[in-house]
Amino acid sequence: MVSATTDVPARRPARRRTATPFGLVLPAMLILAFFFVGPAIYNVALAFQELSLFDLGKGGEWVGLANFAEVLGDPATGRSLYNTTFLLTVVTVAVRLALGLALALLLNASVFRRWRLGWLVRSLVLIPWVTPPVVAVAAWKWLLDARYGVVNQLLIASGLIDQGIPFLAKTDTVWGAIQTILVWRELPFVAITFLAALQSIPTDLRDAARIDGASAVQFFTRVVLPLLRPVIAVVTLLTTIWTFNNFVYVWLATRGGPGDYTQVLATQMYTTSFVDYRMGAGAAVGVVMSVIMFAFALIYFLILFREK
Amino acid sequence: MASAKARSRRFAADLAVVAIGLTVLILFAFPFIWVVVISFRHDADIFTRTFQLITRFTTENYAALIADSPFPNYLRNSIFVCLTATFAATCIALVTAYGFSRYRRFRGRQLLLILVITTQLFPFVILITPLYAIFLNLGLINNFLSLIVSYIAINLPFAIYMLLGYLDTIPRELDEAARMDGATVLQTIFKVILPVAWPGVVTVAVYAFVSAWDEFLFALTLMTSEEKKTVPVGLAGFFGEYTTQWNLVMTASVISTLPTLVLFIVLQRKLVSDLAAGSVKQ
Repeated sequence: MVSATTDVPARRPARRRTATPFGLVLPAMLILAFFFVGPAIYNVALAFQELSLFDLGKGGEWVGLANFAEVLGDPATGRSLYNTTFLLTVVTVAVRLALGLALALLLNASVFRRWRLGWLVRSLVLIPWVTPPVVAVAAWKWLLDARYGVVNQLLIASGLIDQGIPFLAKTDTVWGAIQTILVWRELPFVAITFLAALQSIPTDLRDAARIDGASAVQFFTRVVLPLLRPVIAVVTLLTTIWTFNNFVYVWLATRGGPGDYTQVLATQMYTTSFVDYRMGAGAAVGVVMSVIMFAFALIYFLILFREK
Repeated sequence: MASAKARSRRFAADLAVVAIGLTVLILFAFPFIWVVVISFRHDADIFTRTFQLITRFTTENYAALIADSPFPNYLRNSIFVCLTATFAATCIALVTAYGFSRYRRFRGRQLLLILVITTQLFPFVILITPLYAIFLNLGLINNFLSLIVSYIAINLPFAIYMLLGYLDTIPRELDEAARMDGATVLQTIFKVILPVAWPGVVTVAVYAFVSAWDEFLFALTLMTSEEKKTVPVGLAGFFGEYTTQWNLVMTASVISTLPTLVLFIVLQRKLVSDLAAGSVKQ
């Protein structure tokens, strides 16, 4: 590192401008290169090889596009592609945006501030989000248990059903259950981000709209929603990317079952690499996932820039 | 007199909003509240067919979990890995953000900043297969170093980005004065900038810690031996496919949530507003 003790101030800037900034950012850039850039390139190389988990030391055999042909030709991939994009991502992102906005509007009511309930309200909203995902799945597995779960006990007590439903084991309820767990855990992020954005809207805007004779609905659609648009755009991008690549909810709730009914790309990738020990094919699933995410990000930014 | 009437009507409306709001929120928080309730319940009372809120109170589940389960070891592992990774990620991010904030014109700055932002959005989960292969060849499977490096790398992009925004608001005169007095760059960062930037540093450290504490896939893949397991993977083992010990699961769940719960209850206003500021800025 360049020492700062020098008696000639005029010489200092020239020397420091070159060596110091690189020295400062270098460690972080090396870690990012080692963790992200290197493995991303290696992953593409792996996708063209036949390589067992047990032969990692020896290296694999180049097989061209065989892994891609196999992965893309497998009907199970079609199912996990649909599961990942639609059932896991599109549905839960849409539900989170709608419920998150509704919750934020409710909590933005001035009474919570006037009655000094802000702290209590924020704590309660944040509870699902401070729960680690593993705990969230454990809590819901217990709630949804066929014999002892609260949900089934309430349904039986109310006379709606005679026998407990094993929600996570039946094909017609399993996706609803997974979506419920995911939305429950991840809704607070959306709600508190929207709430913060709502609170940054000046109150005199609302008073001005009222004086001009705008109804509450008009104020919401003509003033609030346009002001929230940038936040909604960012939240949609972030939650879509996080959810599309999510592994933990499906893995812990069902392991992709019953059968491979709830398999998503992330669990398929893990299963191929670490349960079937086929690293090359697993890497190919990873490449397919990155291509889809890249295409999504590209379309997203194209739309965003066209509007600007 | 009309104002008294208007006031009572307003009070009724307020009361209705608060009642609806709190009902919705308590229902929303119920799954976790239920976990806490069950963790203080006797073994025999867990498997009753009727849904009851109040039964006998006991701490025997906690005693059993600490005395005869591997959970204390998972806790030790998680605390060590997460604290080390958080400390390292925060220090490295502070130094990096200082470099980006104070030196505006070095060659490659723009390119490196783009690298930081893309890695922040990059789905690192996809990299688990190549990273396993790399760490295996380095002999680092079942070595905490691989997990710590992973958690540092996962948290660096957000931490750098967030601290860069923070440091840009701190006047340059402050560090220029320190440099005039003969302080080195690192002394300036840790003795002059850190005391001023600590609110941002705390936020970054908390988010880094929480994301490491919650992380599942890397811990599952890189730490395969029983004695190296972290809390999330160990807890998932408790409700594995064949044996489900629900009282242990619920008690361990409460303990696993405690660190993040305490951090967010104490620092919630600050953490929420910093996060929102970050999202809006992007």
